[in-house]
Amino acid sequence: MKHTIIGFAILALILTMSQAVQSSNNIGQNKARNKEEVEVIISDKPFDKMMAVLLHKRCVNCHPDGDIPLQGEDSHLHHFDIERGPNDHGLAGYTCETCHSTENNIFSGVPGAPHWALAPRSMAWEGKSRVEIAQQMMDPARNGGRSPKEIEKHLTEHELVLWAWDPGVDAEGIEREKPPVSKEDFIEAVKQWIADGAIIPDK
Amino acid sequence: MSNNMNGTNKGKRLSRRKFIVRGGLGSIGLLALGSCVFINPLRRSAYGISESLVLPYSGKGTEANLWFEFTTENTLIFHSPKVEMGQGIFTGYAQIIADELDIHIDQIIVQAAATNTGILDRFTTGGSLSIAQLYKPLREMAAMMRQMILNEAANKLNIGKNALILRNGMIEYTGGALSYAKALEGVKDWKLPKKFDLKSNSEFKHIGKPIARVDLEDKIVGAPIFGTDAEMENMLHATILRPEHIGSKMREVNYSEAEKMPGVVRVVEGDGWLGIVAETFSEALAARRKVNVSWDIPKIWTEKDLRAYLKVGEGKRMVTQKEGSALEKEDEACISMEFSSPIGAHAQMEPNGAVAKVENGKAIIIMSTQSIGATQKSVAKALGFKTKDVNVVAKYLGGGFGRRLDTSHAVEVALMAREVGRPIKYSFTRKEEFQNDMFRPPTHHIVKGKMAPNGRLSHLEHHYASGDVAINSLLMPPAMSKMLGTDVGAMRGANVMYGNIKNRRAVQWHKTLPFATSFWRSLGLLANTFAIESFIDEMALNHQIDPIQLRLDSLAEDETQTRIKKVIQLAAEKSQYQNELQGNRAMGFAASIDVGAPCAHVAEVSLINNVLKVEKVTCVFDCGLAVNPDQVKAQCEGSIIMGISAAMHEKMGIKDGRLYPINYGTYDMALMKHSPKEIDVHLIQGVDDPLPVGEPPLGPIAAAIGNAIRRLTGKRLTDLPMKLA
Amino acid sequence: MKISFKINKEERLVDVDGNTPLLWVIRDILHLKGTKFGCGKAACGACTIHVDGKAVRSCSMPIKMVAEKKITTIEGLSDGKLLHPVQEAWKKEVVPQCGYCQPGFIMATAAMLDKIPNPTDEDIDQNIINVCRCGTYYRMRKAIHLAASLMDKDEQ
Repeated sequence: MKHTIIGFAILALILTMSQAVQSSNNIGQNKARNKEEVEVIISDKPFDKMMAVLLHKRCVNCHPDGDIPLQGEDSHLHHFDIERGPNDHGLAGYTCETCHSTENNIFSGVPGAPHWALAPRSMAWEGKSRVEIAQQMMDPARNGGRSPKEIEKHLTEHELVLWAWDPGVDAEGIEREKPPVSKEDFIEAVKQWIADGAIIPDK
Repeated sequence: MSNNMNGTNKGKRLSRRKFIVRGGLGSIGLLALGSCVFINPLRRSAYGISESLVLPYSGKGTEANLWFEFTTENTLIFHSPKVEMGQGIFTGYAQIIADELDIHIDQIIVQAAATNTGILDRFTTGGSLSIAQLYKPLREMAAMMRQMILNEAANKLNIGKNALILRNGMIEYTGGALSYAKALEGVKDWKLPKKFDLKSNSEFKHIGKPIARVDLEDKIVGAPIFGTDAEMENMLHATILRPEHIGSKMREVNYSEAEKMPGVVRVVEGDGWLGIVAETFSEALAARRKVNVSWDIPKIWTEKDLRAYLKVGEGKRMVTQKEGSALEKEDEACISMEFSSPIGAHAQMEPNGAVAKVENGKAIIIMSTQSIGATQKSVAKALGFKTKDVNVVAKYLGGGFGRRLDTSHAVEVALMAREVGRPIKYSFTRKEEFQNDMFRPPTHHIVKGKMAPNGRLSHLEHHYASGDVAINSLLMPPAMSKMLGTDVGAMRGANVMYGNIKNRRAVQWHKTLPFATSFWRSLGLLANTFAIESFIDEMALNHQIDPIQLRLDSLAEDETQTRIKKVIQLAAEKSQYQNELQGNRAMGFAASIDVGAPCAHVAEVSLINNVLKVEKVTCVFDCGLAVNPDQVKAQCEGSIIMGISAAMHEKMGIKDGRLYPINYGTYDMALMKHSPKEIDVHLIQGVDDPLPVGEPPLGPIAAAIGNAIRRLTGKRLTDLPMKLA
Repeated sequence: MKISFKINKEERLVDVDGNTPLLWVIRDILHLKGTKFGCGKAACGACTIHVDGKAVRSCSMPIKMVAEKKITTIEGLSDGKLLHPVQEAWKKEVVPQCGYCQPGFIMATAAMLDKIPNPTDEDIDQNIINVCRCGTYYRMRKAIHLAASLMDKDEQ
């Protein structure tokens, strides 16, 4: 299938992983996995717009390919090796709610939103291409049995998803980066894409 | 067991100690007994002092700096000039007093002396010296007080002293018993006994026993015992804004918006800092976010700059050890290795801070500090008060590790309290703590050596570069630093301890860094031992010699060398040391001697899924007489775990010209899962008196781990923290 | 804003900015000093308390979130005069050194044992992630196992 670019397109390379592989010179000892680059295409196409958001670290950090959430602008492994636990809400000694409340905390810089939790293992996005993510997202076997309409609702109404546009400040008081597409444009793009039959391009 | 004070009063020995007696320090006191602990520093060579850093515990020599107070409740209060920061010294003091005074341990209250109860300790709490220094003075004080009580009881009861038995704070006689308090009641004219007896070691009931900590219950129920728990009536809260970039200064500051924030009472402009005072701490923190500051940043420092600035061959050179001849430069048989350690943060759990009240020409400061006397003086100077008009009340410390030897922020709180006219509590934020630490300086080492044909080391040279440890600190008077020229803190563990290596050199390269560096538990010992003991291990491996045997062969025959040997031999035996890899595990051996206390560690490290883990540490430590063996073991365990943290995790860096990271987590530290599940501590009593305990066991840990990793991976890791690539 | 809640079984009402961290309400308004300020960023765990029985780091919990909830701090952990089994175990193993982090660890441990009554070493490694600078982890591990067995006995 021919890939037509409508209007202008921006090709962006987003690092979903930290640049720095663990080394003794790595200040702060942020633990990270291997560097991987995922291609993000920003264009006027609804699918491109939607995926530019879903590939952003505000989303991917909680869709890790493992049992430890990712954290921060460099998507390092969550400090203290916090684990997802049996229900994606943490372990017995601590849950996500031990530190994360239902809103961002300006004193601690700990982010928060209702239902703060990890996406299930089957919904891991980390390191996957946008096509793979889309296929996985629409596959009832891997998306918790959701219909396209339910997916649309999750992406456009769920408070945890929409938190990406209100990510607050970090522990140093620095504002977290927001996705490259506005919330309104994202919601419109998702609705349009699903209305158009949720067609996943080849690449 | 030799004890030269056995049973009888050695009058001549004691005559240097002056005793002072009063009717009581406060309203509750029946009898207060003070003593001047004074050792003339000139009696010891300055170099001798500095080598061990066993600084004389001293006041002016005329004023009492140790106080006992006996109360109407039949309890003894010991106003301790040393603070409790986890070392367990209050428990040790209670044990010492209980034995000499024949009092129940529960009848003793040990509390940090406030400056207005007579304490004038120039030399702070540090250097692991608290028990070692006060062991004899305390025994003598307690024995003296016991004698006074006995004398008064004999008078009151009109019974011969020989017919009285002192036990558990009671004077027992045929047909009755009198409490110590009753015996002391109503006495007006106090007489100091000319003679008193000290117990022999065999009579000890408390000393040498694993008695539970006296502060145990308070610490598990959350009692408000720490500096940050203090409150004063009508108290406000403050936060302080400080420069973040290394070497930077505030240029312009605009706080008009901050002043309008809820709860803000005043913004105080200090010399290089800005204080935000509010009704609550969270209001002060919220207002702080509204301050706009621009900074003068003369240079954006990088880690590369720092490494180039601090290295062997740069800065002030001092030879700290010189035995035999130096290695020739062209000697092909000479092996040379390079090591380094990073900037280390104290990261003590309780942030620094203080509560201050300045009123009617007097100031009260309540805080966690290792330097009560120095804090009192600096606050008095800043306020223009007489020293005696500033009372510093020290509380339990939520960790010290050397960080609280400098508590100059007490001045800032006092200035704010005076300006605002109300008591103020100030606390560091954690970021402030990490950026304004008195860091452990980074170090760089070159170790060179040569093996003789007989399989013994003929030469060993240690060249080490360090930032300030003791130099520029308040513990080391400038005159002494100048006289010695050497940073005696950086020197800890730097000299080669092996007396049988005929040609030994240690050369210090010192530079003052652009940010404050100072004492961090064990000072130079950890990094210096890491370099030397890793090198020796490598020499043994290269020449296929047993590393234990190489060490033993390298030691001479005198008393101290023999004590080191015993520690090494017992560690090899108890750990069942294996020089070869055992599946996915290997052992590493290292030893050190610090302030006269030798220690050896065997670390058993595993490598599973590319993750290194210290599974077990066997520790043998000769600390002399262990007043409380359980707490000595606790110090060994703590040193081992803090040492694992420093050896495998911790590293402060520089990011955008700022010291970084600024929080736990980002500052990677050993957690529960990194701690060995087995720590097997064996204590040796190589001398009859207590030796320093809190720091010597940190010495060998990094090298022991590195030596195990070498066997596990074939790689010699030479930079702390040790990480697999 | 006015917020009421139960703390250590006592009804309390405070009138403060709703965003005030719970930690500072506990320490400076209710004067319960056992809950400690370590980092203010939910990293060290020194401020760990229980909200409706679950471990919460109080420095990162705005007071408005605990309206009508049940809070337990170290001061209210034990039932009456006796120590809680976790505290009892801590005492028997002589765990604390400086002691500052200990209330947070004790609260985190109590929360864990509520869900995992007989934790393995691996459970302890994964669940207890507070920070102790004195390095008392070695004794803590022993105390946690002991606490589990003490609680087991209580059940029987």
